[in-house]
Amino acid sequence: MGSLKYGVSVYSYVNDFGSVMTLEDAFDHIADTGATGIEILGEGQVEGYPEPSAAWLDTWFGLVDRYKLEPTNMCSWIDTRVTLTRNLTVEEGAADLAQDLRLAHRLGFKFLRPKFGVTSHELDPDPQWEAYVERNLDLAHQLGVVICPEIHAPTPIKHRVTDAYIAFIERTGTKNFGLMIDTGIFQDRPLTHWGSHQINDEMRQHMAFLNGIAVPPEQFLEIAQYVVFIQAKFHDIDDSLEDLNIPWRPVMSAILRSGYSGWLSSEYEGLRSPWRAIDQVRRQQVLLRKLEAEYEAGLLA
Amino acid sequence: MLEHQLIQSTGFRNIGPVGARTGFAVRIRIPNYHGTRLSQLDGFTVTVDGEVFPFEHNRLGIRDEVYTLAELREETSARWGLLEWGEILVDKPGGLAAGIHKVEVLARIRYSYFPPDVHVFPMHEARLATLCMA
Repeated sequence: MGSLKYGVSVYSYVNDFGSVMTLEDAFDHIADTGATGIEILGEGQVEGYPEPSAAWLDTWFGLVDRYKLEPTNMCSWIDTRVTLTRNLTVEEGAADLAQDLRLAHRLGFKFLRPKFGVTSHELDPDPQWEAYVERNLDLAHQLGVVICPEIHAPTPIKHRVTDAYIAFIERTGTKNFGLMIDTGIFQDRPLTHWGSHQINDEMRQHMAFLNGIAVPPEQFLEIAQYVVFIQAKFHDIDDSLEDLNIPWRPVMSAILRSGYSGWLSSEYEGLRSPWRAIDQVRRQQVLLRKLEAEYEAGLLA
Repeated sequence: MLEHQLIQSTGFRNIGPVGARTGFAVRIRIPNYHGTRLSQLDGFTVTVDGEVFPFEHNRLGIRDEVYTLAELREETSARWGLLEWGEILVDKPGGLAAGIHKVEVLARIRYSYFPPDVHVFPMHEARLATLCMA
């Protein structure tokens, strides 16, 4: 067995969940891939968010126990532009983050990904992010939860956003804040669909990231010491087990050579069509394990 | 469970007393992949058989509350969960005729993590829907 841990995000099943898939179905699909971790959207899979009922909590823990899945990461959002006329104050943003940390901990999650509001097309987070997080570092430490904002296309690794998060880690010396890498940053071939839409030329002009920002996988090695979680974003794996957008061979090679030993959490984000994600996730789980085995056999440089 | 599409079949109905209908309702899922505060929604334009009912005038009913657009924009406590439905309430004296209609919804949802100039994101869906009782 290798050093990586494999999980699946329920977000992968976004076009099934709630209409053709229950939470228990999602647990079943994930466990059957051989994955041992489950990632969720807090305000998505948690009914009654932010204060689920005792009955729902019983259901949750029953599923975790029955399917032997470990809660990995819970995703949350900080609604910076809370109304059209005003932004959250630092106190409000910090309180929302605290609420999600407590909920994540209560459900057994070890990681929390807050999505901060942004101020630019390069996705610079609202500068208040630093105060939201700093005010919660002690709480995160007490709860044993690591806060991990994601580095997500179109933001590459070599960028002021990543630099600022790393500077924060260095300045505070915290172990409760780290980087989440979304492997969509390594996408080097164009997507064909975005959501349920076929991508046209106009969309490509306005959203160049749909063609892939192609971060060189080797750059992962430079920031690996700060990476605490990987969302294994992907869109389309064909009938020959080839990923049409993400270059997994060099990506897995870099991840494995870095010594990263955390979660790889499948995050399907391809064509939004019911029933499509279930098998796509299975394909990715097979593909990633196969590459890890090749690496261990010395076949993956 | 909910129907897969944004616009639900059930819940497309006239409102107000029979013979003196005041309008109609269109039941939808949350137009997002996760639940949100209601203030993250910025109204719903509804089009039925080509007749446009602009978002500024429509209300949202969820659970036991009804919100005007102004109220929706300021509602930072109440939330809409992924597994809950809401209904767009549209004024139309006399209501709609029973039968099959082409119904379109343009939902305006706000994402703080989208760049500010594009943070009101339109989500459009259209379908044929059947209104049962005039």
